[in-house]
Amino acid sequence: MKNGGVMIENKVALVANGWPDIGHETWKSIKRFILPIVAMAALTFGVISVVRSQPRHEATSPPSPPPASSYAQTVAAVGLVETSTENIAVGTEIAGVVTNIFVDVGSRVKAGNPLFSIDSRATRAELATRQAGVQVAEAALAEAKYQLELGQRLADEKVLSIEENKNRGYAAQKAEAQLAQARAQLNSTETDLERLTVRAPVEGQVLQVKVHLGEFAPTGALPTPLVLLGNVDKLHVRVDVEEHEASRVQPGAKAMAAVRGNTDLKTPLTFVRFEPFVVPKKSLTGDSTERVDTRVLQVIYRIEDNKVPLFVGQQMDVFIDANNQRPSLDRNVSMAQPSPHSPGFSF
Amino acid sequence: MNFIALKMLTGDRAKYLGLIFTIAFCTFLLENQTSIFAGVLKRTGSQIADVTDAEIWVMDPKTEYFEQTKALKDTDLTRVRGVEGVQWAVRLFKGSPVARTGDGKFAVSICLGLDDGTLTGAPRKMLLGFWQRLREPDSVVIDKAGYVLLFPGEPLELGRTLELNDHKVTIVGISDPPAPFLSFPVMHTRYSEGVNFVGRERTQLSYVLVKPQPGVKAEELCRRIEAQTGLRARTSEQFQWDCIRYYLKNTGIPVNFGITITIAVIVGVVVAGQTFYLFTVENLKQFGAIKAIGVTNWRLIGMILLQAFTVGLIGFSLGTGMAGQFFDFFSQKIATRGLVLIWQSVALTGATIVFVMIFASILSLRRVLVLEPAVVFRG
Repeated sequence: MKNGGVMIENKVALVANGWPDIGHETWKSIKRFILPIVAMAALTFGVISVVRSQPRHEATSPPSPPPASSYAQTVAAVGLVETSTENIAVGTEIAGVVTNIFVDVGSRVKAGNPLFSIDSRATRAELATRQAGVQVAEAALAEAKYQLELGQRLADEKVLSIEENKNRGYAAQKAEAQLAQARAQLNSTETDLERLTVRAPVEGQVLQVKVHLGEFAPTGALPTPLVLLGNVDKLHVRVDVEEHEASRVQPGAKAMAAVRGNTDLKTPLTFVRFEPFVVPKKSLTGDSTERVDTRVLQVIYRIEDNKVPLFVGQQMDVFIDANNQRPSLDRNVSMAQPSPHSPGFSF
Repeated sequence: MNFIALKMLTGDRAKYLGLIFTIAFCTFLLENQTSIFAGVLKRTGSQIADVTDAEIWVMDPKTEYFEQTKALKDTDLTRVRGVEGVQWAVRLFKGSPVARTGDGKFAVSICLGLDDGTLTGAPRKMLLGFWQRLREPDSVVIDKAGYVLLFPGEPLELGRTLELNDHKVTIVGISDPPAPFLSFPVMHTRYSEGVNFVGRERTQLSYVLVKPQPGVKAEELCRRIEAQTGLRARTSEQFQWDCIRYYLKNTGIPVNFGITITIAVIVGVVVAGQTFYLFTVENLKQFGAIKAIGVTNWRLIGMILLQAFTVGLIGFSLGTGMAGQFFDFFSQKIATRGLVLIWQSVALTGATIVFVMIFASILSLRRVLVLEPAVVFRG
């Protein structure tokens, strides 16, 4: 190649007439390389620019690890922590202004301990009236008995008519009955007085006190209970399982729950029971205006780990083991290990 | 002989430079337009690409692109969690509230509500402040472009407040996420906050973000999720392509860019090809002389291809350099941030230039190969 080139170059020199000037001055040969060099520099720059500016995609991990199931097949759900007695909204039978509150939020109470009491002045006044009424009735009875006794003697001496004597006997009976009535009324008022003090129905902890001194406590089921009570020694979690998934949950299935915001805090759960009635899903935010779009099966689980700091009303991410499901319900989800007798239950 | 070919090429300075600049600008135009086209379309899926924590997006079965959301039921999150192969699944809210400043300036924005517990999808590229402060009540992280849009001419600083659907929120960070398609401000907040920033809707869960268990393929898991829940599941990449396809199908963007690119190619082919062709034709005499002294046709082909290769390479290099410079400059600007010269565009343009030069060479070769050497000796 090289030799050929040189040879032809010599030949060309002979017919150099029509050719552009091929002078060999140094500056010209330098000039000839300017453009290619500039071009190479530009290309290098372009390539560097491309390489440097290519978007990079680096996978990252979430700031806090999201809850993850430790079961191969799982039914995930959201649960609400509640007390093992369920949360008892204590109400009052008699409406009135609150004059005494015997418990604080968080205090532990035994069954029968007073929680709060309603203004009792009217009832106490009535009590005094009733007590006086009893005394009046007692006095009336004493008088009637004396009259009867006196009448008996006078009748023996034929001074008093038989009719009069009988009337005295009836009057004494009536006075006796009136005393019993007055005593019953006194008893009733005493019961009312007793009912003005609301007592804890079970042993547990006071979760909420939404009534204050001087406030009017109405009767009936209230949106905000006056006092919320429950047994927190064993906490339960009420798990809402979507109705579509309900068939995958077996009674007694193992489960675990993770605390929201800190998935390191996990606790095993023990199956307690199904709520046999499938209910419309209530938004766990507690917003009552939200319309219902699905129904949920509620499963009650007991929280086994007492050391996990949990509060009643807290939400938890729950994972229920769906491994021991009936073969007929083994959906075609387990593509990894297809079960030979799985008919494939597709949705 | 190659030396003579190059001499012929550079001898006529005007034509030489003309050829090179034609190719250089053709290269520049092609690289520029294709890269901007790709960059603008890629912006349609910016917010998807920005969530680097998860690999799969679960959405309503009829969702076609990111902006179009129909909320899922709250329980859909737990149903997705129940699918075998799911490592974890968290919720993501996407809304378009109107953000208003104290001065009354307002802008429709993209509001992303991150799962409260995990902050999955938090903006990691922060210019100011920390995304960790999103845990504070009524806090948002806003992107720089949005900040500049809402507070024009004011320095970047934290603690400014915005009004979103009658909620006063505090800016606790300024982020730098990839630009969205419609240049709306991008705001990150927590899910429970985000749902209050837009009007109350019946259901609010826009997306479920899923991470497959190790060893489970994302595409495979998508199929499983779709089979089991009846929802639509896409990997991040698939979902970004969905957005691109949607905009290609439903907007005038492809037509607009398509015309520019087609014209760039035509102009490049015609002008560069024609200039080169004319260059060869005008040098027919010289080729005749070379033929006359007994140079084979193969040598001539080699010479012409060398000439074509030289001008092609120099022109392409200069054009690529210009394009690199262009994008280096404009990718720093807020409006054009994130638009970069993509290597596919450079490669494609290179291939086009090669094609153009080969095409022009073939045209020229026809004349040279059938050339009678005697022509040089005629008047």
